[in-house]
Amino acid sequence: MKTWIQTAAVSMSALCLAAPTLADELTVYTALEEEEIAAYIEAAQAAMPDTEINVLRLSTGKLGARLLAEAGNPQADVIWGWAASAMMDPQILEMLEPYAAKGADVLPDTFRGADGKWFAPIGYMGAFCVNTARLEEKGLPMPKSWADLENPAFKDEVLMPDPNSSGTGYLHVNAVLQSMGEEAGWAQLEAVDPNMAQYTSSGSKPCKSARVGEYTVGISLAFTAMQSIEEGYPLAMVFPEGGVGYELEASGLMASSDNMEGAKAFLDWTMSDEAIGLYQKYKALITIPGVDASEAAEKAGLPADISTVLADVDFVKAATQQTAVKEQWKEKFGR
Amino acid sequence: MMNTAASSPRRQFDADRLLTLACVGLPLLGLILFFAYPMAIVFLRSITVGDSYGIENYTTVLGSSGFWRATRHSLVMGGATTALSVFLGFIIAHALYRCAFRGKWLIRAIIVLPLLAPSLVQALGLIFLLGRNGVISRALGVEIEIYGFWGLLIANTLYALPQAVMIIGAALVLLDARTYEAAEVMGAQPWRQFRDLTLPAARFGILNAAFVCFTITITDFGNAAVIGGDYSVLATEIYSQVVGQRNFNMGAVVGIMLLLPTVISYAIERQAIKRQQAAQTTGQVPFRPSFSPLRDISMAFVSALICAGIVAVIAIVVYASFVKLWPYNMGLSFKHYDITLAGGYGSLWMTIVISLAAAAGGTIAVFLLGLGLRRLPQALAQPIQILAAMPAAVPGMVLGLAYILTFNSTATPLYLLYGTAALIAIVNFYHYHTQGFLTVATGFRQLPPALEEAAGSLGAGLGRTARDIVAPFIAPMLVSVFFFLFMRSMVTLSAVVFLTTPNLSVAAVTIMRLDDAGLTSQAAAFSTCVMAVVCTAVLFMKLILLLMNRRSGSRETN
Repeated sequence: MKTWIQTAAVSMSALCLAAPTLADELTVYTALEEEEIAAYIEAAQAAMPDTEINVLRLSTGKLGARLLAEAGNPQADVIWGWAASAMMDPQILEMLEPYAAKGADVLPDTFRGADGKWFAPIGYMGAFCVNTARLEEKGLPMPKSWADLENPAFKDEVLMPDPNSSGTGYLHVNAVLQSMGEEAGWAQLEAVDPNMAQYTSSGSKPCKSARVGEYTVGISLAFTAMQSIEEGYPLAMVFPEGGVGYELEASGLMASSDNMEGAKAFLDWTMSDEAIGLYQKYKALITIPGVDASEAAEKAGLPADISTVLADVDFVKAATQQTAVKEQWKEKFGR
Repeated sequence: MMNTAASSPRRQFDADRLLTLACVGLPLLGLILFFAYPMAIVFLRSITVGDSYGIENYTTVLGSSGFWRATRHSLVMGGATTALSVFLGFIIAHALYRCAFRGKWLIRAIIVLPLLAPSLVQALGLIFLLGRNGVISRALGVEIEIYGFWGLLIANTLYALPQAVMIIGAALVLLDARTYEAAEVMGAQPWRQFRDLTLPAARFGILNAAFVCFTITITDFGNAAVIGGDYSVLATEIYSQVVGQRNFNMGAVVGIMLLLPTVISYAIERQAIKRQQAAQTTGQVPFRPSFSPLRDISMAFVSALICAGIVAVIAIVVYASFVKLWPYNMGLSFKHYDITLAGGYGSLWMTIVISLAAAAGGTIAVFLLGLGLRRLPQALAQPIQILAAMPAAVPGMVLGLAYILTFNSTATPLYLLYGTAALIAIVNFYHYHTQGFLTVATGFRQLPPALEEAAGSLGAGLGRTARDIVAPFIAPMLVSVFFFLFMRSMVTLSAVVFLTTPNLSVAAVTIMRLDDAGLTSQAAAFSTCVMAVVCTAVLFMKLILLLMNRRSGSRETN
């Protein structure tokens, strides 16, 4: 038995050998999508050859939980491409240090934190994922707006994420409330509630369920819709009339970073021409003035002037009233 | 205490006490450092209000209607899953250990499949099979409404069943054949034998299994999120508070509240067991069932039916991983196996190393604890037993976050563990501590104390008794605990997802990242690879065990 214990002890201590920490290592936490991360990091690493860039990718919600849990001794140097409404949480802002990344000054005020703690050159949009095969099978009309989803024929055919669990859920609820006005907005949500088969905890799940034909309409993300269409699913991406919700992907500098120089260089890179060139390949939503509509946006069937499909969203208001809105939502629609 | 024989020299006695102390002390230290301490920190968070402490968080949670709805749902779901899993689990365990028919190895192999399947596989499998656009719905031409109570019940039962079989099996495998022979001679009918001999003897195992099934059901988030539809449970509440609203302290409150029903049900179970007299005698003769057509054929049939269900759920996902575009283009291809994103196949090897470490370390720890607890007075053993049975009551997400709060603090030297593979192995073990401990405890329950006493009076110290008497007796349970820990460590996600670093990832996290990226088919393909690796590893280890058995068997008269 002694030898067992010894063997176990030896193998455990072998496991304990942590990787040696290089002087110039940079830890980046992000919620961007895998494919784009790979492309950006390849370019950034080439531009910063002396820094080893380590990336941890988690979904928006899980990344938030991780950041808060680590708050006593933060491990990240940079938060990169994370939902601005999450970034504006006072618990998170407390961990950030103001930094004016080179080139970020071209961004309009709405896409930068007033305190200089975050900036967002890119973003993502919500969308309806409509399964055309199921739509045809059920003989349903193509929905073009939130109001179209009130049609009783859509009973139990629509899914949307729960705003209390999912940032995407809040993105949609907030867009409806801000673009239609509080009263009309709540009335709209109430009118579609009877048709909602489920409120899911994940933002991409409604689209994934719709694409395999479990449901007809998934209120979800444009990214998942585009990716599904590319894979060949019988899916149409619909931006509801009256404006679809969107979210900014913000970046900021962690005040606790022990590699400030590397962190700042990386943030500068995210505003470089090279980075912008890559955004045009991957992002449907770029907030940098004068940057042309991207390939990705064209593929998504977006008009040249993207502002025509986006809801008019006030991000500061969205962030400050989110607790109240989520609570009210839970009271009205919690199941 | 066992060494009351006058012939024991004093030094032997002291060495024994020291060994007992080490047996209990080392695993107990582990439980305190890696379970009690992190949970104490979670408790502190649950009573943190602003910069001071108070119970406001609790009153807020208790005052919300959503909490009570979720509690009601959780209790109903926990009860239903427990009843179903223990019932089916008993049938299968009974078929495996108390009946005579061919092909048991197949049932034994299939029944553990849900343990080694990543949670994504079970979720996808159920939806592909029973979903509104699933195979069965399309074949029947009616849409089955799987999302909600029934879907969740099936999913939870699939996951709980193998654990119920493992624990109940530990109680049935060691029943004494001579009692049955005596009953036979006295003319007791088979039903009477079952009611008066098998059931009472299995009671400890059944109660332990019920406790485990109930606890893992009320803490599970994965199934509820995927197939529970709008059937909100307490684990969904925690997720919504912590991940959805970054409201840590509220999540901690629900996490702490989840411990309550678990502690209560464990206390009830202990009371129930106390009333049962342990009547084990020495010199057991292993039971060798003879063929009895009515009993054996019906038992085998039910077991096979359940196994067919399990195979169907997993096989359909494996098949779908080769399908071009499920369910719209059923052509076959290998394209989903070309995985380049999310770290590709790189995490597989590390996961195997971590899982072996968790399984080996964990099996030794629960064995030592079980052994040591037998020699402690009840008053001391009882609280340790409760602590050892508690980890299952903590949802993986809560445990993972508790580990960050605890080990990412430079205040203690434990900080050295943060970001290492060792910490992942440790969290995997403690996450499944309850199941391992209760399986071994159920096994120990069948071990006649007289056997140890006899060894003691012949001058064998605890070390020798453990090696020569206890270990061989308990070996089948240790083997199942080892494989259980290995399989779960290979695929468990909820706690580990918070402990990976940019340089250290595990297979379950890769699967999650692929699915997050919308590449569900690739995630299924990667899951298939993980399952193949686990099966190969388990078969390989079984082969080694078989060879070892043969060698030692040839020395003994059998």
